[in-house]
Amino acid sequence: MSPAIVEVRNVSRRFAPTPSIGERIAGLFGAYVENRTVHAVDRVSLDIAPGEVLGLVGESGCGKSTLGRVIAGIHPPSDGEAFIHGEPVMGGSRRRVKTTTRVQMIFQDPFGSLDPRFRIGATIAEGPIAHGLIRRAEARAEVARWLSAVGLPADAADRFPHQFSGGQRQRIAIARALAMQPDILVCDEPVASLDVSIQAQIINLFLKLRRELNLTMLFISHDLGVIRHICDRVAIMYLGRIVELGRTEDIYTRPAHHYTRALLDSVPKLVTTGDDLVSFRPISGELPSPLAPPPGCHFHLRCPAADARCRSEAPDLRDLADGRRAACHHPLIDDRT
Amino acid sequence: MSGPLLVVEGLTTEFPTRAGIVRAVREVSFHVEAGEILGLVGESGSGKSVTGFSILGLIDPPGRITGGSVRLAGCELVGLPARDLRAMRGREIAMVFQDPAATLNPVLRIGDQMALAIHAHETVSAAAARARVAEVLTLVGIPDAARRLDAYPHQFSGGMRQRVAIATALLNRPKLIICDEPTTALDVSVQAQILTEMRALARDTGTALIWISHDLATVSSLASRIIVMYAGRVIEEGPIRQVLSAPGHPYARGLLDSLPAKAVAGKDLMQIPGAPPSMLALPPGCAFAPRCLRADGACDAEPAPTVAGDRRWRCHHPHAEPTS
Ligand SMILES: Nc1ncnc2c1ncn2[C@@H]1O[C@H](COP(=O)(O)OP(=O)(O)OP(=O)(O)O)[C@@H](O)[C@H]1O
Ligand SMILES: Nc1ncnc2c1ncn2[C@@H]1O[C@H](COP(=O)(O)OP(=O)(O)O)[C@@H](O)[C@H]1O
Ligand code: SF4
Ligand code: SF4
Ligand SMILES: [Mg+2]
Ligand SMILES: [Mg+2]
Repeated sequence: MSPAIVEVRNVSRRFAPTPSIGERIAGLFGAYVENRTVHAVDRVSLDIAPGEVLGLVGESGCGKSTLGRVIAGIHPPSDGEAFIHGEPVMGGSRRRVKTTTRVQMIFQDPFGSLDPRFRIGATIAEGPIAHGLIRRAEARAEVARWLSAVGLPADAADRFPHQFSGGQRQRIAIARALAMQPDILVCDEPVASLDVSIQAQIINLFLKLRRELNLTMLFISHDLGVIRHICDRVAIMYLGRIVELGRTEDIYTRPAHHYTRALLDSVPKLVTTGDDLVSFRPISGELPSPLAPPPGCHFHLRCPAADARCRSEAPDLRDLADGRRAACHHPLIDDRT
Repeated sequence: MSGPLLVVEGLTTEFPTRAGIVRAVREVSFHVEAGEILGLVGESGSGKSVTGFSILGLIDPPGRITGGSVRLAGCELVGLPARDLRAMRGREIAMVFQDPAATLNPVLRIGDQMALAIHAHETVSAAAARARVAEVLTLVGIPDAARRLDAYPHQFSGGMRQRVAIATALLNRPKLIICDEPTTALDVSVQAQILTEMRALARDTGTALIWISHDLATVSSLASRIIVMYAGRVIEEGPIRQVLSAPGHPYARGLLDSLPAKAVAGKDLMQIPGAPPSMLALPPGCAFAPRCLRADGACDAEPAPTVAGDRRWRCHHPHAEPTS
């Protein structure tokens, strides 16, 4: 494998949550309100190779966005470090600031991520000019180039965000990120808020950009169908930890971790023929609170193969056959050893 | 009683806005049999929720139903006085919303607010109400329900709160529950649990469901019939397997074909060009025409519904010929 562009080394990110409005109100009425630290990301290590699309999958609150934000230099890690081309994403030691423009992020909500007061052209050109990537005189041509790359006409530059539909706004957000000429794009649920008939258009746009620009991407989604379609490798997260990592097709056809298998089984499939309506099987039990994850393997309360060791000893992410890695004492595929 | 449980005919609902009249639901007709699960799909803004709200008489002025009829077990609901509609809601038809916060009061204990919903329709003792609450919470898969009646909504996870909202809808044993994307905001693992429970509930209690969703896969594993909406109209209706294996309307066909499951990994997906129209500026004729590869001059005229057996669509040039 060629040297990684992105190296995530033992990254943890903890939050000491402030109580929500609901909790504060309930607190006033005498209810017991917990207040503890969330280990949103717990000692995660992974690499992304040049030109690779790595998928990041897991249930709500498992830490996908937090990990994505650490890699994109939006959150500093509490421990460990994320590197791009061997350099830390965050510089400084006490007050940490993002020091690279080589990574850009695209968010789920194309409405919130564009400033309504600025014309599209200004929004796209702002970053590259500020960072000295282009001169002001080049801005117009540069904006037109990126608008065309995402399938929008050049005159979109003169309009305001509210004049565009959700799908078009997501294209604009992508153009703005690309104009920074990043080596890696962190995409956090970039199609989740779009209309169903628009999702395919944006997925095709990512495929095209990837072919043409050899982009490296971290692609976060809870949609297992979308991940399977566009990712080379997939990382599965559960309660802050990566529990499985491997090539997409391998993981979908032969999961190694019991959580991965349960997650894949729980997705309803499109049934177009036959009378058998049961196309999915729910995971038993509930996702434990991230405030108090169970000891040992975080999945042991819901795992059909759990034993005493699983209840006490957290499994490390280790190498299995065929380049697969999984954090499980009793994996579903062979050990390499 | 004979005939369908719910018959909606020519339902039209409009909202006057500063920018013009939004005709959110246009001449919508369909029926629901007792105990059946009907899937209602369409993209955001196509009129799914407004259809649900219209059935329940929950359209806030200045919006109003401007035409058509909604009959529940033969009884007309459109034009019923507000008091009668209130008495009917919850008891005859209930609705579950996408966001459980719309149903749950954050400062009341779960058991207390659900008991209030029973007392609104029936005179029962507090103990009997609490027992019924515990029973329906168990039915929707809340473990140890009797001991959690004193919890506040925030102490439950999103999936549990949605279960409480579903349980609240079940309290008065309605004949029909309209579920408006109740699992869209939930994780797949929780969604699968709730789908499994809802299917069992419909089977065991004989409650009919209208399951509103934009996810064809979910609907395909739950419903026996499906209706597809586009720009306020029902554009296709039929038994679920027939519609999904041979959709007639080009929009329904396009939606199915654009799913990643239908493509080779890494290859471009089939895509529907363009975007849904603004409900304020609908094109004349077929509203899908600007995006439709089969559109021609005939499509400048609004297509009337074609009925064949138990299938129905609105299109001048459908993909499949209706077979009856
Ligand atoms: N700024 C914050 N302050 C406190 N807690 C936070 C903060 N951001 C995230 N968390 C917590 O960290 C955990 C991981 O959150 P994160 O947003 O990364 O999850 P996610 O996997 O992206 O979920 P989703 O699928 O819902 O987007 C959650 O328990 C969340 O509540
Ligand atoms: N209170 C309202 N006032 C004005 N327009 C409304 C109102 N409620 C819904 N609409 C419009 O009606 C159309 C259908 O909405 P809705 O039924 O909520 O769609 P969905 O299919 O996503 O549930 C949309 O164009 C929406 O903007
Ligand atoms: S470590 Fe044990 S509990 Fe965890 S997934 Fe593997 S077998 Fe199951
Ligand atoms: S009526 Fe015409 S434009 Fe409308 S869906 Fe059918 S073929 Fe397409
Ligand atoms: Mg997230
Ligand atoms: Mg809706």
